[in-house]
This record gives sequence, structure tokens and C-alpha cells, in this order.
Amino acid sequence: MGWRHRFSVLLVAATLALIFVGGLVTSTGSGLSVPDWPLSYGMVMPPMVGGVFFEHGHRMVASAVGFLTLVLAVWTARQEPRRGVRRLAWAALGVVIAQGVLGGLTVLFLLPTPISVTHACLAQTFFCITIALAYATSREWLSAAPARDDVASLRGAAFLATGAVFVQLLLGAVMRHIGAGLAVPDFPRMYGRWVPPPDVLERAPVLVHLSHRAGALVVLVLVARLAWRAGRAGDARLARPAWLALALVLVQIALGATTVLTAKAVLPTTAHVATGAAILGLCWLTTLRSRRLLRLPDRTAAVAVPLGDPALS
Amino acid sequence: MSMRKSLAVIALGAPLALVACGGGEKSEAPASTPASSQAAAPADTAGGGAAAKGSASISGKVSFDGTAPAPEKIKVSADPYCQKEHKDGLERKVVDVKDGGLKDVFVYVKSGVTGSYPAPTTPVELDQTGCMYKPHIVALQVGQPLKIVNNDETLHNIHPRPAVNPEFNIGQPRKGMESSRTFDKKEVMIPVGCDVHPWMRSYISVLDHPFFAVTDEDGKYEIKGLPPGDYEVEAVHEKLKTQDGKVTLKDGEKATLDLAYKG
Repeated sequence: MGWRHRFSVLLVAATLALIFVGGLVTSTGSGLSVPDWPLSYGMVMPPMVGGVFFEHGHRMVASAVGFLTLVLAVWTARQEPRRGVRRLAWAALGVVIAQGVLGGLTVLFLLPTPISVTHACLAQTFFCITIALAYATSREWLSAAPARDDVASLRGAAFLATGAVFVQLLLGAVMRHIGAGLAVPDFPRMYGRWVPPPDVLERAPVLVHLSHRAGALVVLVLVARLAWRAGRAGDARLARPAWLALALVLVQIALGATTVLTAKAVLPTTAHVATGAAILGLCWLTTLRSRRLLRLPDRTAAVAVPLGDPALS
Repeated sequence: MSMRKSLAVIALGAPLALVACGGGEKSEAPASTPASSQAAAPADTAGGGAAAKGSASISGKVSFDGTAPAPEKIKVSADPYCQKEHKDGLERKVVDVKDGGLKDVFVYVKSGVTGSYPAPTTPVELDQTGCMYKPHIVALQVGQPLKIVNNDETLHNIHPRPAVNPEFNIGQPRKGMESSRTFDKKEVMIPVGCDVHPWMRSYISVLDHPFFAVTDEDGKYEIKGLPPGDYEVEAVHEKLKTQDGKVTLKDGEKATLDLAYKG
């Protein structure tokens, strides 16, 4: 079981690297530098020049992740006694194949926004699946049982933060693929004001961009709430990923600002994509851990006491 | 799952995953649809090719008054072949001025043309040479073939981004490859780029008549074969945008129309 867990962790790391490499394709404007698919200029290995380096490089890393997923699915099917984990491993394989097909379709149809955004969001979904597979095979999952009550309501906070981060990633993907990354060209002000002028709000790209900025504030609040509650839970296994997620949210806001102020320089823009994925992964891990390590408090008892309290009657 | 089943899944799944993510067999064919095999027409200065119906003409000079922006220095190190072709670096003059004359301005009759002008079958050629497009400004008629040629020992993709005509993206991985395309609708200054070499940029203009020209290095142009009439002429530059003028022509008249941009 230990080696399969290590292999799963490798897949998680490879997937995060793949998200960075995929981000490079869009950041460098190389998405259509290879016009065909599944081959590249009719070849398995074209000359890695100019934009081909990024687009075909992404295809190569994606192929490697696909192969790792295939190996893990078969390995899990052979060794894993839990039906749910076996199904999750096959689901991972299905998602990675669907992701490859989406990547091909977006090239063949010249980067239509719906397909490109779906490709971006499915990547994040696949990343979460790999994290779940890694956690399900970890010593922590296998040995731990719910030891304490979720007095800080961490389970709900973690789930909410994860959902908010995913929606924020969706907004970011839409902004990126409709080319609205610089629709508001300044930061922290918006068109020179703290409240954007009403006339610019009539433009859809500006609205999408501002929604992403507003989403960042929502994510900051929800992840800070998560970190605070995780700290109160009294378990470092819960507190560490939540506080790391909060630290990365601050880094992420700085990267978002840098992306605007450098007019979408390649490295900060791509780091912004990968850091977003890392925040999602940490929130998701906190969600999984809170479900495994904490149990819901006995609400019946909690309600019975106040009702019977003479001071309240 | 048994070992035999596991091996079968890997054997079936590995090629599927590889194909899904971009692997596969080697293929010779580029993604292009040949539309004509006729010889290419010289395209240094694109101009009308169809049978003109009149004997009047408009000629003139498009000038630029002001300080032209400094040439852009282009880094071509991403492709060793392009680097070799431009050992001393590459510069692009977006506003190319000589003695006040502005090069690479597309000048065409915007309104006043009557009658129909069938598309010539002679293709207009767009070359990829030295990791640059030649010519920079291409013009042709609706339905006239555009022949795209790769003269470089490196790969290129040709990716116009039209607003009215259908967008396409074709690859030419080897020297000597040719592709042909036609445009169904008139559209002026369609940007064309190579996503492999982002500095490559050209513009294609498509009209339903042959009355157009591109200014030479002195900023001069000539549009021939016009019938008598009242015409509106428009000049379009990739950065400086448009300038307009009006001309009334009699049969056989050679009119002069100078247009000026201010910097």
C-alpha cells in the first residue's frame, strides 16, 4: 500500500506541474502553434522551436500524466480492496482521457472559449481527484478514525472554501480565455478610481475581470475563516494545510496584481494559474482531512441542554 | 482484477492515453486544402488582377508627417534557423517612411464601383522567407486563390484572424510546402500570424473588385482600369488606421490623389 501511495503523490505533483506547463501555453500565446491533433505537424516529435516548445511540451507532459494515471488505475484495481477507491481510480483515468480530448478539440476548433474554459476547469477537477486518491491510500486515512468532535465547524468551512476557490478558478479561466486579463489595466485602483466608473461596467470583459477581483476577496475571507477554525481544531494535520492555503492566497493576490502591472508577463501569469491550483488542492485536502479526522458533534445533546435550562425559560 | 485483465487494460489504454494527449503515428500530410495549382502571381505590390473595364486611373503618394516610431527590435532566438537567418538581429519598421512617403499602405476604392468583376484564377502568393512574411500586405479578390509557401527550413503555421471570413490555422512543417485558400467575403486588413514565431505578421485584404494597390517604399500607388465615376478612396495602415479621399473620374482620366497621415 505504501508504494501505491507514493506513486499517487507523484501523480499529484506531476499534475500540478502539468497545470503550470498548460498555463505556459496560454501565457505565451502558443495554443495554436501546433495546428493539428493528435499529431503535431503530422509528427510524433516535431522540432521544439518557438511556440511549438510550449504546446508540444504540454502534450508530452500530459501524455506522461495520462500514462501515470493509467498505471495507477490498473494498480489500484488489482490491489485495492475498497470499491470506492477503485472506482475513483478509474474515474481519474476517464477524466484524464476526456481532458486530452478536450485539449485536442480546443486546438482543432481554434480555441473556442467554452472548450478552453472546460479544459482549464477539468484540469483542476482531475487534480482534486489525484489528491483524493493519494489521501485515501495514506497511512493517515487507513489508521485514523474520527477522534474528536468538529466543535469549530471545520468540515463546513473547508467545503465552502474549496467551492469558493473552484468558482474563482472558473472565473479566472473565463477571464483568461476571453482575453479580459487586462480589461481593467490598473491595480489596486480600477480605471484610476477605488470604485470603477459606471460606463466601463457596461463591457462584459470588465465585468468578468472585476468579478475575479471581487472573488479574490471572497476567497481571502473564506480561507482565513478556514485557517482560523482549523487552528482551533487543535490538530496540526488540519491547521497546516489551511494556514498554508491562506499564505498562498496572499501570494496569489500579489501575483494577480503583478500580472496586471506587468501586462501579463509570462512567469507571474503562469505562476498565478499554478498557485490557484495549489490553493484549491490545499483546501480540498483540508476538506478531506476534516471529514476523516472530525465527527459531527451530537446536536441532540447540545439542543437539549438549553431547553432544559431554567435561566432561558 | 487478474493479471491477464490488467495487462489487457494497459495494452488497450496506453495508446489511447497517448493519442488523447497528443502522441500517435507520423504523418506527412499538412492540414491544408489545395484550391488551385496555378502558378503564383508576383505579389510584391498586390494590385487588381481581374479584367478592368475602364481606362481611367488614380495615382498618388501616401505620406507621413511626423516622427516615425523607432523600429521594433525582434528577438528570434526561439528558433535557431531564424537566428541563423538574422545573425545581426531583426528589426521591424511598423511605420516605414522614406522621404515622407509611407510604405505598406493598402489603398482601395471603398465606394463607387459598379458592375461585377470575376475573381482571377491566378493566385496571389504569400511567402514565408527568413521567418518573415513577404509581402507584408497582401490583397486579392473574393474567390481568388491565395497561395501560401514555406521557403524556410523550419516549420510555420499560418493563422489568419478574420472578423468576417472563417478563421483557419494550417501547418507547413517543411520547406517547399504550399497551401491554397480562398476567401468568400470582402474584408480589409485581416491580420495573419504564425503562432510559432509570434513576430511574423502580415495583413490580407479581400475585395469584390480589382481596384486596389499597396504603396511602395516611396509611398506611391496607382490604381488602374477604372471606369468613369465618382469614387471614395480609402488608405489603411496597420498602425495609423485610415485616411479617405474622393475622386471624380472621366473616361481615360489620370487623376492624382495624395493622402497624408500625421504622426
